[in-house]
Amino acid sequence: MTLLTLEGVIAGYGGGDVLQGVDLDLQPGAIACIVGPNGAGKSTVLRAVSGLLRPREGRIRLEGADITGRHPAEILGLGVAQVPQSNGLFPNISVRENVLMGGYIRRRDKALLRRRYGEIAEMFAVVRERADEKAGNLSGGQRRMVEVARSLMLDPKLVLLDEPSLGLDPKALKQVFGTIKTLIDAGKTVLLVEQNVRFGLRLATDGIVMESGRVLLTGKADDVLNNPEMAALYFGGSVQEQRRGTVPTPSPKQSPATAGG
Amino acid sequence: MSTASSSAATAPSETPPPAASRRRLPLGGWGLLPAAGGVILVAFPFASDDLFWQNMLILSMLFAIGAVGLNIISGWGGYISLGQSAFVGVGAYTVALGALKIGGNPFVWVPVAGVVAGLLALLMGLIAMRTRGHSFVILTIGFLFLLQLIAINWDELTNGTQGLSLPIPMWDIAYQYWPFYYAMLGVLCLSLVTAWRIRRTKFGTGLIAMREDEDKASTVGVNTPVYKMLGFVASGVFLGMAGGVYAYYLAFIDPRGMFDIVISVQIILCMLLGGRGTLWGPVLGAFLVEPLNELANQQMGGGNSRLLIFGGLMALVVLFLPKGILPTLKERLTARRQRGQAGLVGARLDGPLVIGERTAPAETTVAPGEALLEVKGLMKHFGGVKAVDGASFVVPQGSITALIGPNGSGKTTAFNLIDGTMTPSGGEVWFDGRRIDDLPPYRRAHLGLARTFQITRLFREMTVVENVVAPLRSFSWGQLNTSAMRGDEAARAEELLTFVGMERFRDQKAAELSYGQQKLVELAQVLMLDPKLILLDEPAGGINPTLVARMGEMIRTLNRQGTTFLIVEHNMPFVLGLCDPVLVLARGACICEGTPGEVQKDERVLDAYLGDDFVLERSAEVAR
Repeated sequence: MTLLTLEGVIAGYGGGDVLQGVDLDLQPGAIACIVGPNGAGKSTVLRAVSGLLRPREGRIRLEGADITGRHPAEILGLGVAQVPQSNGLFPNISVRENVLMGGYIRRRDKALLRRRYGEIAEMFAVVRERADEKAGNLSGGQRRMVEVARSLMLDPKLVLLDEPSLGLDPKALKQVFGTIKTLIDAGKTVLLVEQNVRFGLRLATDGIVMESGRVLLTGKADDVLNNPEMAALYFGGSVQEQRRGTVPTPSPKQSPATAGG
Repeated sequence: MSTASSSAATAPSETPPPAASRRRLPLGGWGLLPAAGGVILVAFPFASDDLFWQNMLILSMLFAIGAVGLNIISGWGGYISLGQSAFVGVGAYTVALGALKIGGNPFVWVPVAGVVAGLLALLMGLIAMRTRGHSFVILTIGFLFLLQLIAINWDELTNGTQGLSLPIPMWDIAYQYWPFYYAMLGVLCLSLVTAWRIRRTKFGTGLIAMREDEDKASTVGVNTPVYKMLGFVASGVFLGMAGGVYAYYLAFIDPRGMFDIVISVQIILCMLLGGRGTLWGPVLGAFLVEPLNELANQQMGGGNSRLLIFGGLMALVVLFLPKGILPTLKERLTARRQRGQAGLVGARLDGPLVIGERTAPAETTVAPGEALLEVKGLMKHFGGVKAVDGASFVVPQGSITALIGPNGSGKTTAFNLIDGTMTPSGGEVWFDGRRIDDLPPYRRAHLGLARTFQITRLFREMTVVENVVAPLRSFSWGQLNTSAMRGDEAARAEELLTFVGMERFRDQKAAELSYGQQKLVELAQVLMLDPKLILLDEPAGGINPTLVARMGEMIRTLNRQGTTFLIVEHNMPFVLGLCDPVLVLARGACICEGTPGEVQKDERVLDAYLGDDFVLERSAEVAR
């Protein structure tokens, strides 16, 4: 059964429509990566799914149930967690408190939160080791990992990631790559937006190319990445060569989830 | 701003409206409403001799003047003042004391009241403007109470709590309150014309830039201290004059009635209800709140009931109408008009890169290859954290220098120290032959130093083109009164937006752009300064891979014209293909410097930054 379906979604921010009829299907367990030019509406798709932006027309379904226009907290409760583009952590509270904020809508259920927090601390070394540090003191890569960790507090079915690679140095990129792999291993479905096309499509099972508020092409990630036309138009340079470039492959000696620093 | 309507989301094929049509007087269309209101106000005393209504309108105008003034410093400048009634009090006492101690008709003293209020605002501004946010608000309250205290205790001058009685008006009783009424109307017109003019000048856009992001405004050359101070003065002058008229109208003043914080609160409420940041909103708010106030006084026993109404109304406005009446209405109308229209969406860019000649003389005192920027032993400590710890490096004139290093190695902090957003704990920064680390950011921008931000910092409520023309290359008093967007500036902005490929978005609000688009606009924005050196913080982050190549071309093109670059970036192929020399920062200090070839072989760099598997993959990138 399809996990997420978008049917003819039209949405915008008040200055006209950015999404001009988006259709999309996402199977459970898929890692779909949206790529495309700047301003094509990639982040807007994520915002529409998480309920931050109300579509003007069209339907969004989660496991068949219509969630169009629902409140973001309600959609979160149904199992959709979003990791925003930048600066999503509260810098003046500790890493632990930040992660616990991810379970805010279940805050009454202390036992559940404790259990989930334990599981997450198990998964993410940075949460375990720097729990009492202020989130503002973490490096860029560590912050991203805490953001991803926080999104798991409600054990979501679907995780929306907006440009996880943004502003990360090559080493941190590897850590975050590993972190997302952890998500996949945990059985999550992931919809991510990524400008670092090589990074995104290497992670993903499915590729989605957007332009001008519409979906231009969908397919297996490898096929999209190797599509010569797409490569020329959107990926820049010679893809074949770039794929052998700085694509962060977690080195075997370094387990992704335990990478700190 | 209600009058600067932008037709943002036209279909991509439509050409944008000519710039002139967006700069006309706020008349015509919706502008007819205030005109009609003005006619009614002028004609009212002729139509009705009801003193209740005349009184209510005089007081409404007093609060309108206060709210229009407050809007200059708060709605546009972003500084909330709870001390506005100090200007009412000072104006009232100036007129009363002038008429009583020196003589003459009290109306003669009204302009003097304006001057005195302006001087007081300047004095308050000098001290209060060193603070921001909540502490500024508290200081303004402090000033208000201080003045009240002085008025209470300076018996010989003010007659203390006994108050002062002004001369009885000498005109025929048939004229009722007419002189007060028209004097107040005159001051209201003056204040509106001034506010309207301010909004159309560099002064107004500078204030709005300050509201949106004060540090950023400073880095693009806005002399924020002077702008703040003058904004505060402009907010006080007309309220001082109105206070003078008010004193004569009341015929009796005392410290508690004049320096009353409730007046301040009511002024704020008027501005918030009508719509902060608009020209007419504060007026509308005043003509709604004051009648309500009178109603409370008449029907519900006055005093405490009006406090209850103000408090309740304030809460309701903040909860349900946070933007105020006019902006909310405008938003609804725009949304309805644009319903179903296709918005502007990003597409690929493949046009040629064209940019005109540089507009500022590119003279530097240093020869090509010598140090344009030199950093010596730079330090910044946050408590125990040493973000930058003795970094020293040189950016040669004419170069494209890279600054790379792990997250948290102090690159962005170094940028903040170089451009003056932060004060260093130690060390020196030299630019173009002079030491600059004691200069404010806007002075450094005037010298030709510009920077972009990792997380873009555009003025979100401004349109793209307004953002691009906001930077100022110098400061002069005359500048304050020049048009917000001169013809040559508009043309240059157009050219720069075309260069970065964002010309179609010129009338879109910056907040509505995607992250990558904001990066491009921010580049166009700092190019408006035509700087000698641009610090770019992750120019290739968050932009499409094809655009990354184009970004590289843009930087090369600008570099050929003589602009030097210092670039922080994590995209290694981009850095290695574009930059020379490459500086490597780790733990706040420069650990290595050299050509791209040298740096990527350096053991320390591989260890601290690139990771040990970089060597194996390097060959593929170099081949690119």
